[in-house]
Amino acid sequence: MRRVEDSLVVCEQCGLPHRWQLPTDATIARCTRCEAILGRAHRLSIDSVLALTMAAAAAYLVAVNAPLMSLSLRGGAETATLPQAIKVAWENGEQIVAVLAAITALLAPAAFIALRLYVLFPLSVGRKPPAFAWCVRALHQAGRWSMVEVFTVGVLLSLVRLAGLADASPGPGLFALGALTLLFASIEAAGLKHLWWHVR
Amino acid sequence: MSAAGLLGCESCGLVSADVAGDDPALVQHCPRCGHVIHRTKPFSLQRTWACVFAAAVLYVPANVLPVMVTTSALQRDEHTLLGGIHELWLDGSWALALIVFIASIAVPVLKIGVLGLLAWSVRSKPQWRRLERARLYRLIETVGHWSMLDVYVVVLLAATVRFGPLASVSPGLGLLSFAAVVVLTLLATWSFDPRLIWRDPPAAAVADDARVNPQPAGADGRLA
Repeated sequence: MRRVEDSLVVCEQCGLPHRWQLPTDATIARCTRCEAILGRAHRLSIDSVLALTMAAAAAYLVAVNAPLMSLSLRGGAETATLPQAIKVAWENGEQIVAVLAAITALLAPAAFIALRLYVLFPLSVGRKPPAFAWCVRALHQAGRWSMVEVFTVGVLLSLVRLAGLADASPGPGLFALGALTLLFASIEAAGLKHLWWHVR
Repeated sequence: MSAAGLLGCESCGLVSADVAGDDPALVQHCPRCGHVIHRTKPFSLQRTWACVFAAAVLYVPANVLPVMVTTSALQRDEHTLLGGIHELWLDGSWALALIVFIASIAVPVLKIGVLGLLAWSVRSKPQWRRLERARLYRLIETVGHWSMLDVYVVVLLAATVRFGPLASVSPGLGLLSFAAVVVLTLLATWSFDPRLIWRDPPAAAVADDARVNPQPAGADGRLA
């Protein structure tokens, strides 16, 4: 990418400064002292990250609105979407747990996608969006609190547990959630600091 | 501590000269993005200890109180974390029991133990097995959020199993404590600054300025 060959990079984990230079036989540069990752050779371009984020936005909308699973027992049937599950937890008197689930599975992933779209569209045409520095910091927090992959495994686990009790089947939301997990992983691999290299 | 007097911005990665040093009154900002930059996060150890201690205390009710209450036509059952894992094991789904055990028991215990060890060793054993401690920190940073798994499972089961008197599931008080443990261990992990592992304690005689006494690691040979 547009990283200056001779630039300096300070290890995030131990603070040791390095002259940025990727070993020719490796794809990942590691700190010589604490072995934390300093940078990667194969970076996604702004356009690729934008495309992945748009796909993630579509997957997110399906994952949130479509039922994650359905359960039928003696004629009655129940389906559950994520907002419903959070609402039920709230009504059961577990408000704090409901808020925590809403932040980690619903709001943080939404911020993860929305802020990236807001930043990536202007960057892809060579402009710097207003409040860019704030957005990068907010994206860092959104990435920390977003736990889509854990939630996906949580849905699978509940499904297996319910299978013994009644007739449980996965819904379209679960498949969207699986896609979202993979998309988030590839978007996160691109990192956040690289966004600054595209700002003039 | 950066031996060469250089600091990296945590938000944008820009490298700046270390102007503030160890003076807590001087706050240095990144010239490119405006983020606060420092050698190590302020009050890192105090915050880590506070969160680890609170998490360890709350871990007791999280294990003793039921996390989930199931009611059916015949009976009402309360399930604790370990009880739920035991039931899964007895049902023959030992793989699931293992996953839940790792997420709900092993990961929180590991996080509390490792963070306690890391925070303790910064002061008491600064030079002991630094690379291994740095790796331990990266490990708990990576696996940390998986302990949310059981919280999600109970929330989802409570939302799906709603057949009135026939069968229903509701969250128990233990779940609240467990969720608090998860959040507190996450906050503790983020409060701990791994750069503390590599900091030498100031020598008793020349304690004023750490830059007077640079680490050998700053020599050019160590630069990648």
